[in-house]
Amino acid sequence: MTKNRLLILFAIVIATGIVALPLLAQRNSPVAMPTTDCTRCHTCEVPTLREPCLKSCPRTEMVHQQGNHNLQDAPDSMLLSQLADLYQPVHFNHKVHASMAQMGTDCATCHHYSPPGKIPPCSDCHSASSESTDLKKPNLKGAYHRQCLSCHREWSHDTKCVLCHIPNVEGLMKSATEDPTDIIGKTHPVITEPVKKVYQTPYKPAPVVTFQHKEHIDLFGFRCVDCHEKENCGNCHDIEQTSKIKKTQEQVHAICNDCHKEDACSKCHDTKERPGFSHNKTGWPLNQYHNQLDCWACHPTGRQISKLNSMCISCHKGWNQANFKHAVTGLLLDEVHAEMECSDCHADHRYEADPKCDDCHDDGRTAKTAPPGMRTKHSGR
Amino acid sequence: MSFTRRDLFKMAAVGAAASVGGNLQASDDAYPIDCSQTYGVLVDTVVCIGCRKCEWACNNEHKLSTTDLKTFEDKSVFQQHRRPVDNAYTVVNEFKNPETAKPYTIKVQCMHCNQPACASACIVGALKKNRLGSVDYDAWKCIGCRYCMVACPFQVPAYEYNEALKPRVMKCTFCLDRLEEGRKPACVGICPNEALTFGTREQLIDLAKERIKAKPELYFNHVYGEKEVGGTSWMYLASTDFINTELPKLTNDPIPHTTETIQHGIFKSFVPPLALYGLLGLIMHSLRENKEDKESDDERS
Ligand code: SF4
Ligand code: SF4
Ligand code: SF4
Repeated sequence: MTKNRLLILFAIVIATGIVALPLLAQRNSPVAMPTTDCTRCHTCEVPTLREPCLKSCPRTEMVHQQGNHNLQDAPDSMLLSQLADLYQPVHFNHKVHASMAQMGTDCATCHHYSPPGKIPPCSDCHSASSESTDLKKPNLKGAYHRQCLSCHREWSHDTKCVLCHIPNVEGLMKSATEDPTDIIGKTHPVITEPVKKVYQTPYKPAPVVTFQHKEHIDLFGFRCVDCHEKENCGNCHDIEQTSKIKKTQEQVHAICNDCHKEDACSKCHDTKERPGFSHNKTGWPLNQYHNQLDCWACHPTGRQISKLNSMCISCHKGWNQANFKHAVTGLLLDEVHAEMECSDCHADHRYEADPKCDDCHDDGRTAKTAPPGMRTKHSGR
Repeated sequence: MSFTRRDLFKMAAVGAAASVGGNLQASDDAYPIDCSQTYGVLVDTVVCIGCRKCEWACNNEHKLSTTDLKTFEDKSVFQQHRRPVDNAYTVVNEFKNPETAKPYTIKVQCMHCNQPACASACIVGALKKNRLGSVDYDAWKCIGCRYCMVACPFQVPAYEYNEALKPRVMKCTFCLDRLEEGRKPACVGICPNEALTFGTREQLIDLAKERIKAKPELYFNHVYGEKEVGGTSWMYLASTDFINTELPKLTNDPIPHTTETIQHGIFKSFVPPLALYGLLGLIMHSLRENKEDKESDDERS
């Protein structure tokens, strides 16, 4: 009897262990708690991989996770064929639109619901049937048209169907494709950015502002979107320019002030047009090697470029007398001079200054009139 | 043989219509309707692109014109301010948003008021708000007095002035035939952008407020028609103040009250107009007889 009781007790302990252990383990396992509120996207409290209980279409709050999606992974063009009926499927050039999206109102303008993972197709939420049951969201046809036409009509001043659609009728096709406003299958032309822009401003003492557009891109590595943020498509696309929105004085200055906040007005404003930047003005004309470098290679401080000292070893940390090949400067030293210390000719290691010869030579020679070796095809710094 | 209400009045004038007097009661049985459950349409002018397809669909549905859909792609009509007319129940007009200088377009038609001024002004009950939400016109009852045109705060009803024989008052019917079949109005059905949403008034007000809340930067915070003149079945959202648009600034008091007091004071029962018609008829009749007598006298002499 006692033996039996013991057995039962033993069985209970084992059973409890089997049930409780995984639970305990689960509680102790280090689960990284997400910072976002689960209920934004999930209907249940504990979503799992198998049961994600995702809200199908969150209408009140749109989720857009830009960081989780890569433009390179997106298709270049798409065929919108779900509703093709009167018209042939629409070729939608995703690449053209997406590459411009950043300057406009972002990918989220169209992808207003793009949770992590695969971006859901429009038809996941927008019903392809014309008898939609949920008044709060447009059906697929309405959703497509809203996305396209809301912008396109602003600058094309037109809402003709054939702007995007080719009619599904043989005879009609020709007239549609011959429509000069037709954009089907066309890709965006290469944008040639202006070299400079000269503005006449209302600032009386110095009305002319020369903005070196290309220089800002080339020298400072600006992306279009760094300055052209929240632009209206019509600013570029509207031939009639009626939808062009002029920026206010504050808005214009705000763009420049990201970097030029501390600068005086005269940094940009002048009475006449200004030439572009040249490194020669800094007292350090760039040689053929330095010329090829990105600004940041020497000025790693970011956009606030500061003057560097001219000591070679400031950048070329590994250079010393033994491994420096003087020939790269355009002069292959002769045997005598090659044996000397650098500072024997370059006083205080100031390599931008002319070397001194008169410590040894009293005939008034300079490195130019009597080079201490053989000139090579390289020259300058 | 088909004959209109007016024919009946002619008959009444010669004293033959005493028996139809009962039908002439200005109909009050339409009120009160629970307007939250009547149908309506939300016109979102922020979403409307001014394609004018709704104009075509309406014309086509009601056989008002046979003009080709392509003709409606013509935007030059926006240079003029248009109003609904007898052969176009609905028109789209273009305005400029004074703040953004961007153009926006707005479709106009009968608002299908909850308490329609036109119906109250109508002395014979030819206009009536029905349970589906439509303010329905009955050409059979209409006597052509055009009081409705004067009473309507939106100046919607038009008149077939070019129709010599049986001119009718013409206005948007809310596609009543379609509503009765459980279908959306023709204009709503064709709108490519779903700028027109069909639903019950309650649903639409809810929807409108949600849209304003979701994108306050796009919408002017007002649902036009929610309260104006006691509420209308067709309601509007816009990017700017409505008084800059097609829609007049109106109080929330229903206009019927005013017109009703006047109209129904005069024509409390239908005896006075009937008597008037009868009297006029008799006078005309006797005048004509006199004239004819005179003419025949002249001929004889
Ligand atoms: S069909 Fe729709 S989008 Fe086109 S004009 Fe009419 S309401 Fe506006
Ligand atoms: S808008 Fe005018 S015509 Fe239409 S129901 Fe109201 S009062 Fe009558
Ligand atoms: S509801 Fe019908 S009658 Fe009224 S505007 Fe639309 S299509 Fe025309």
